[in-house]
Amino acid sequence: MVALASPSRGASLWQRWRFHLSALVVIVPIVFTPAFFHENAFFDGKKGLGEREVGAIAVGPWSVRLAEFKLKEPDAEGRAGYAKEFALALCPACVDQVKAAYLRVGKPRNIRTMGALFSGTPYRQTAEMRIPDRTTADDELWLTLEGWDGTLHQATIPIRTASPLMAAWLEKAKR
Amino acid sequence: MMRALRASGWIVAAVSAMALSISTAWAHPPFCICKMIDATTVRCEGGFADGTGVPGVKLDVIRYDESVVLETKFSADSTVSFKRPEGEFYILFDAGPGQSFDVDYKDIR
Repeated sequence: MVALASPSRGASLWQRWRFHLSALVVIVPIVFTPAFFHENAFFDGKKGLGEREVGAIAVGPWSVRLAEFKLKEPDAEGRAGYAKEFALALCPACVDQVKAAYLRVGKPRNIRTMGALFSGTPYRQTAEMRIPDRTTADDELWLTLEGWDGTLHQATIPIRTASPLMAAWLEKAKR
Repeated sequence: MMRALRASGWIVAAVSAMALSISTAWAHPPFCICKMIDATTVRCEGGFADGTGVPGVKLDVIRYDESVVLETKFSADSTVSFKRPEGEFYILFDAGPGQSFDVDYKDIR
């Protein structure tokens, strides 16, 4: 007669719980599926320009729709400080006329300091705008549009209008 | 059966980890930190938030009246040093359209 060796405690635990672990591996992705499809639709633009639309803004002869891409406080970007992402859509009539759109905090000093460059299609493009250390909630964002003919047109948007969440974050940070 | 289930679990975990890493790698804004290293010399260190260096990237020192005091480039270690000009000026980090920004002389630490 051969005596069977009893399994170690670890092996015994594994035998007992492996079925539950396998079930967990299947259930966890199912739980996150709605969030996955929501994010997918958001990034595809099916849920709008961004999570909070600022509205239509006239920029010289053109106009754009601006939105906060995500309704959240600025992101920490390591040594680069903080940044906030915005989304923009050109007006249908100016799609062929506008070459580039830039966004920054405060008035650009010159053509080389116009800020973050929007990238994407004319119907939905995004830019991650740096937030300088000395920014206050009363400052303004400067949006610059550059035409294919070389013309530049600018508009200002108070931070409180562009992103009340960012304004509140700035006020909290200055306290 | 269990082996296949376990393998699929690892695949799901790996794909999820990849998806997470992609979503966090959205953009990497540039930085330029300038400090006085002695009474007269400014040292600027540049880079991108993801740790990418900026050797060869342009850095100009410009007065408020837009006259250029110095045109230089970041060295291999992504730093540049220069004599601090008198008066009001700003430092222009210029890594190309959308990747440039200015550092005011008041922000030199």
